[in-house]
Amino acid sequence: MGRTSLSVVFAGSGGSGAMTAGQLFLQAAAAAGYYGIMTQLFGAQVRGGESAALVQVSTEPVESPPDRYELFVAIDWEKIDQFAPEIPLDDGSIVICDPAAGQVPAAIAKSKARVLTVSFDDPAVTRLERALRGRRANVCAAALVATLIGLPSRHLDSALIKLLGKKSAEVFEANKRALKYGAQLAKTLPVTLALDDAAPGERWFISGNRAAALGALRGGVRFVGCYPITPATDLVEWLAPHIRELGGNLVLAEDELAAINMVLGASYGGIPAMTVTAGPGLSLMTEAIGLGVAAEIPAVIIDVMRAGPSTGIASKTEQSDLNIAIYGSHGDAPRIVLAPTSIGDCAYTTEWAVGLAETIQTPVLVLSDQAMGQASGAIPAPTRRPSPGKRRTETKAGEPFKRYAIGSDPNTPMPRPGTEGCEWVAEGLTHNEAGLPVSAAAAHAAQINKRAKKLAQIDPGADWGECWGDGDTAIITFGSGVAPAREAAIRRNKAGQATRVIALRLLSPLPRKALRDALEGTRRVVVLEQNHTGQLLQYLRANDAVPASTESMARPGPLPFRPAEILSRLIEERA
Amino acid sequence: MNLAVAEAQGCALKAKDFSSGAHPIWCPGCGDFGVLAALERALALLGRPPHEVVLVSGIGCSSRLPGYMNCYGFHGVHGRALATATGLKLARPDLEVIALGGDGDGFSIGGNHFIHTCRRNVDMLYIVMDNRVYGMTKGQPSPTTESDWDSELIPGGSRLPPFNPVAMAVTAGATFVARGYSGDPQGLAELIVAGSKWPGFAFVEVLSPCVTFRPEEFEWKRKVRHDGVLVENDRGAAVSAALSDDGFSLGILFRGKGPRVDHQPPTTTLAAIEEQFLLPSPDMA
Repeated sequence: MGRTSLSVVFAGSGGSGAMTAGQLFLQAAAAAGYYGIMTQLFGAQVRGGESAALVQVSTEPVESPPDRYELFVAIDWEKIDQFAPEIPLDDGSIVICDPAAGQVPAAIAKSKARVLTVSFDDPAVTRLERALRGRRANVCAAALVATLIGLPSRHLDSALIKLLGKKSAEVFEANKRALKYGAQLAKTLPVTLALDDAAPGERWFISGNRAAALGALRGGVRFVGCYPITPATDLVEWLAPHIRELGGNLVLAEDELAAINMVLGASYGGIPAMTVTAGPGLSLMTEAIGLGVAAEIPAVIIDVMRAGPSTGIASKTEQSDLNIAIYGSHGDAPRIVLAPTSIGDCAYTTEWAVGLAETIQTPVLVLSDQAMGQASGAIPAPTRRPSPGKRRTETKAGEPFKRYAIGSDPNTPMPRPGTEGCEWVAEGLTHNEAGLPVSAAAAHAAQINKRAKKLAQIDPGADWGECWGDGDTAIITFGSGVAPAREAAIRRNKAGQATRVIALRLLSPLPRKALRDALEGTRRVVVLEQNHTGQLLQYLRANDAVPASTESMARPGPLPFRPAEILSRLIEERA
Repeated sequence: MNLAVAEAQGCALKAKDFSSGAHPIWCPGCGDFGVLAALERALALLGRPPHEVVLVSGIGCSSRLPGYMNCYGFHGVHGRALATATGLKLARPDLEVIALGGDGDGFSIGGNHFIHTCRRNVDMLYIVMDNRVYGMTKGQPSPTTESDWDSELIPGGSRLPPFNPVAMAVTAGATFVARGYSGDPQGLAELIVAGSKWPGFAFVEVLSPCVTFRPEEFEWKRKVRHDGVLVENDRGAAVSAALSDDGFSLGILFRGKGPRVDHQPPTTTLAAIEEQFLLPSPDMA
C-alpha cells in the first residue's frame, strides 16, 4: 500500500499565480479520479499581497484541513513572513524552492523541513522569451507536484485547457512548455509521493459558494438582489449568468439595504428570492429582515461569514455571526437559521432554505463561512435533495380575504399580486388580520403568536442535522467546524475513545428533541465553534438543550480548526 | 390627455373602484388627500384593474397611502420603497408598480436609492409627496426644507441648502420628471397617467402641503404655476432650468433617454447547468 493523500501549499506573492498553480494541480488530480479540496489564503490587498493555495488530494473524500502540510512549494519568497505562521510545517515536510528566489526564509527554515531546490526557469527558454511571456513558474510548479504524485500528463493537459484554454495561442503554448518542463523536473527530485488509485464514485468539482448558488436555483430562486462583499462575491458571480439563463434576474443593488428590500419586493410578487452577503452586509439588512418576519415575506439570506466585528478580516473565515443571524433585529423577530454541514451540503441546505422560506413565509438565513464557501474541489456528488416546499396561495371564493388571519394554520395564504379579489398590503406595522395597521394590544399579541406558531410547528424530520457515531463523548458543531470534528472523532474512535459528532443544520428554531435524542448516552459534551464568546454554547444553554457540564471549545478565527488541535483540546479540557 | 373627455367616453373603471374605504390618519386639510384622489382617478383612467396594481411605500404620513386604496400594496421600512418596488417590477414586469412616499423617506433616508433608481430606469412610477417637513415625528426639517425654517430641533433653521429633487433626478439619469400639486387633483392625475405610461422610470414630485407643521404652505395654492417648460433629452438645460426655477412651476419638466430593462426568457435548463460540475470518470478523461 502506498500513499493515500497529499497536502501541499503553493505560495507566492499576489500575482505570482499561486492560486492558478493550486487549481491546475487540483483539477489534474480530479481528472485522474482523486478527491481533493483547495482553500485560499489571501491578504487584504487586491494585488501584490500574500497568497497561498492550500491543497489536499486523496483517494477518499477529504474536507478537513490537515494538521500539517507535507509539501510546500515556494513560487517566490516575497511576503512569506505574512502567512508562514498560518501554514503548519514540520521536519517531515518537504520544501521545494528555486535558489534564484533567494535563501529559505527563517520563518520556513525553523520548521526543519527538508529543502529541495529546483530551477523553475526552463533553460531552453531564452531570457528574452521569459521577459516577454512571463516565467510561468506557477504552471511549472503545478506540473512538478502532479508528476510527483504520479498523474499522467494527459490530465495536466486537460486541466490546462480547462483553466487557461481561453488565453492566446502563444501564451497557451508557453504554458504547455512550462507544464512539460515541470514534469521533467519532478523526475530529477529524490522523492516519490505516488498516490494509490482513487476509490471510484460519482464526483463533482464545485465550491461551497457555487453549491449554495446551485441549491438556490434548485429550490426555485429566480430573483437575487446583491451587493459585492468578500467572501460572498464569487457566489453571485457564478450565479449571475445562470439565473438569467433560467429566465430569472440578478440585480447589483446600490447597497445591502437595497438588496434585501429588492428581495422582499420580488418575493412579494411571488418569485422565490435571495440575497447573498457577509457580516457587514448582514448588519445593514437586519431592519428589513424584521420586516420580512412581520409582513411574512419569504426570503433567503446567505451569509458567508468572515472574521468580524466591523470590517474585521474580509478574506478570512470565522463563525461569529450566529448571534446576529438568530437574534439580529429589533422587536421579537424569530426567524429560521440554517448552516450547511459540508461543501456539498451547501446545495442541500440552501435548497431546503428556499423551501422553508416559501412554506413558512419568513426570512431564512443560511450561515456558510469563508472556509467552506471558498473551498473548492472534487467531492462526492451532492445528489440528495430535500423535499420541496411551496408557499400557500389558494383562497376561498366568496369570503373576504384576510392575509393575516388567525386560525388553526398560522401559515396563511399569500396570493400573488394579480390575483383578483385578494388585494392585500404587506404590512410592517402591527396589523390586524386584514393587514390594516392597528396599535391595539390584542392584535399585537395575536400576530406575534401567529408568527411564533409558524416556527414552532416546523418539523425538520431528519433534516435537523447529522449525527455520526455513538460514542459517549459528543462534539456539537456547525458549518466548517464539522469536517475537522469528524476527522478528530475518527482518530479518537480508532484509539478506543468513542466519540460522536453532532452537526446542527437547523440552528433556529433549535431542534431540541432531535438534539436531545442525538445526545442520548453521552457522558461528555463539547461545543466546537469559531468565535470568542461561545455563541453556539450560550444559545444551547439558553434553550436548556445541553447538560450543565457541557464544555466550550470556542476560539475566534481566522485559522481553521485542525483535527490535532481538537484532539489536544479534548485532552486539555478534561485535565 | 383630458380627463373630462376620457370620463365622458365612459371608462370601465371608476375612481371609487380603487378606494379601500379606510379612513386616512392624515390631518384635516393635508395635501395627501388630494394625491389620493388624483391617484384613484388616474388609475381608473389608466384602465388596469385593482388586482394588477401594486403600491409600494416606505414610512411617514404619505407612506400610509397604500392602506387607503383597493389594490395590492407593500408598506415597507423607512426609505426603501424604491428598492422594494424595483425588485417587484423586475420579478413581475406584468404588474403596474407605483412607489410613493414623502420627502424624508425619498430624499433623506432613501436618498441613495433615489439616485440609483433614476439611473436604473426600471419601468415604474415614483410619486413623492413633498411637504418639506417630517410630519409623522411632529415637525423636523427634511432635506427639502428651507434653510431658515425654525423648528424645536434646529432653532433658527438648518442653514443647509434645500435638496432639489427635480435637478437631482435629471442629473442621476431619470427619463421622466414632472411636478404636480395636490391642490390640483385633475392636473396631478394627468401627470400620473403620463408617468405610468412612460416606458421607464417616471418621477413625479408633488407639492403636498403639511397644514399642521407648515401652515404657511397654504400659500402654495397662490404660488404654483402651470408653466413648467418641458425639456427633451438635454439634461444640462433641464438641470439649469430646475436650479433657476423657484420650485413652483408644474408640468412635465424633462423627458430623456435611458437604459432599457429587458426581460429574457429561459434559454437553458437547470439540468444542463448542473452538468458543468460533474467530473468525468478518469477512464473517460
